[in-house]
Amino acid sequence: MLKRSTQPKRLWRSAPLKPAYDAVVIGGGLHGLAAAYFLASRHGMQDVAVIEKRYIGYGGAGRNTAIVRANQRTSENVPLYKEALDMWPRLTRELDFNLMFYNCGNLNLAHSEAALKAMRLQTATAQFHGVDSRLLTPAECKALIPALDITDRPKYPIFGGMFHPPGGIVRHDAVVWGLAKGASARGVHIHQDTAVTGIEVQRGKVAAVQTSRGRIATPRVLNAAGAYAAALADHLLDIRLPISVLTIQAMVTQPLKPLLDHVISSGGYHIYANQTLKGEIATGAHMDRWPNYTTGTSAYYIKHQAEALTDLLPCLQGVKFMRTWAGLADMTPDMAPIMSGNDPVQGYYQDCGWGYFGFKSCAAAGKYMAQYMTTGTCPEILAPFDPGRFAAHRLMGETAALVNYSADN
Amino acid sequence: MALNLNCPICGPRSGYEFRFGGEDKGPRPAEEGATTALWLAYAHLNRNVAGVQREWWCHKDGCGTWFRVCRDTVTNCEVPTVDTL
Ligand SMILES: Cc1cc2nc3c(=O)[nH]c(=O)nc-3n(C[C@H](O)[C@H](O)[C@H](O)COP(=O)(O)OP(=O)(O)OC[C@H]3O[C@@H](n4cnc5c(N)ncnc54)[C@H](O)[C@@H]3O)c2cc1C
Ligand SMILES: [Zn+2]
Repeated sequence: MLKRSTQPKRLWRSAPLKPAYDAVVIGGGLHGLAAAYFLASRHGMQDVAVIEKRYIGYGGAGRNTAIVRANQRTSENVPLYKEALDMWPRLTRELDFNLMFYNCGNLNLAHSEAALKAMRLQTATAQFHGVDSRLLTPAECKALIPALDITDRPKYPIFGGMFHPPGGIVRHDAVVWGLAKGASARGVHIHQDTAVTGIEVQRGKVAAVQTSRGRIATPRVLNAAGAYAAALADHLLDIRLPISVLTIQAMVTQPLKPLLDHVISSGGYHIYANQTLKGEIATGAHMDRWPNYTTGTSAYYIKHQAEALTDLLPCLQGVKFMRTWAGLADMTPDMAPIMSGNDPVQGYYQDCGWGYFGFKSCAAAGKYMAQYMTTGTCPEILAPFDPGRFAAHRLMGETAALVNYSADN
Repeated sequence: MALNLNCPICGPRSGYEFRFGGEDKGPRPAEEGATTALWLAYAHLNRNVAGVQREWWCHKDGCGTWFRVCRDTVTNCEVPTVDTL
């Protein structure tokens, strides 16, 4: 007989809200928890607080589709994502918590000569940085996923693919719980149901953070409020960011026998999908075409997703969606994130604008933001992500096409 | 999330016929004497208000008109124009 314990075992401890901390992190999401974990574990910072308005994992952290990969488009981005990808097995050991990293590989499909050409450049960039990424013929794509229709029947026939073997899926909730467990064990205080409502600045320096449960004196604060970070920066510090907040939807089908062994994605169909360990096809990709904070789903995208999925994988015709949900994505005009500090306020750091790439990147971003917050100097690998690039109009080339949420396209 | 918008020419239509044109940031800066900061603000920076904001839309799959509406970003509904925004 299984013995039922009367007290559920908590992965992290609750702690009293202290009047002062060495560092305050706004947001108990992926980036906030990772930064707090590394502040405590790598830099020995004793007194770190994570302030979370709802509960940890409430934001994108608990809503994403858990895809990880390192084959971004540009030389500034690839090394950061590579390091993040390499960290999953090590973090699993270090946190003593199974993050369920499943490196099944990602297959991205091309439906035109132009798309193939772009992939050629993308694989070359990846290979230059030591990231395994290769071009495949349609027949090789079919060898990986026999259910793919590679004839010229589909609306967008398959011209080839880009295969990235080391990527795959990590259990997103486990990352939240594992980081919270590791941070708490190293003395970080996690305060849920607590909202940051103000940042006090004295003589150009952060002095304190106001919360719904009182004032906290601190010399440094990290804005890691995810999709709410931009509104918060504007509201609290009058800092405007080049961010648009859009709802992004995802859904899962009923469980099926194994048929999809890799993460599959297609820019042409605007879709990605993978089969979960339970057998469901988890799929998403679409963002609302206009900014909003609703996290509502819509029949429009469920229909789109069903049409695209069954055109690529005809064996899915008649399969039912079981569940659909949505979260928010904080998009920048170049689809690269914003990480910066001490500008224009000393002690104020921000890590946001991750759009739909904020899960795969969180471990590396947290590690380097922790270093930045400890030393006060921007680590070299983060330098390209300063928002100053927008003033110089030197946008990074992470977008495949012009983005339609930004007014200037 | 679904949205219906009122085109000044065509009347109420499905939001999917329109293209979002950004937050209303006032008139385009004059080329002469415009600073980098001014262009940055005009081209890229957003307030991301959680609530009512005035914004640009184009009836892309309809008459092609550009117009401004007020919309609540939390409910995703068009609201009557507020002059103080
Ligand atoms: C449907 C969907 C699918 C996605 N799929 C993927 C994917 O496959 N791969 C990938 O890499 N990324 C994916 N993403 C993106 C990823 O989830 C986000 O980029 C990531 O969660 C961002 O992490 P974060 O820590 O910045 O923000 P979040 O995880 O959103 O955390 C921010 C936290 O801040 C809190 N907060 C807000 N305001 C305050 C305040 N005033 N005071 C205190 N706390 C506050 C929020 O409650 C929230 O818990 C997806 C996102 C969605 C919505
Ligand atoms: Zn019209």
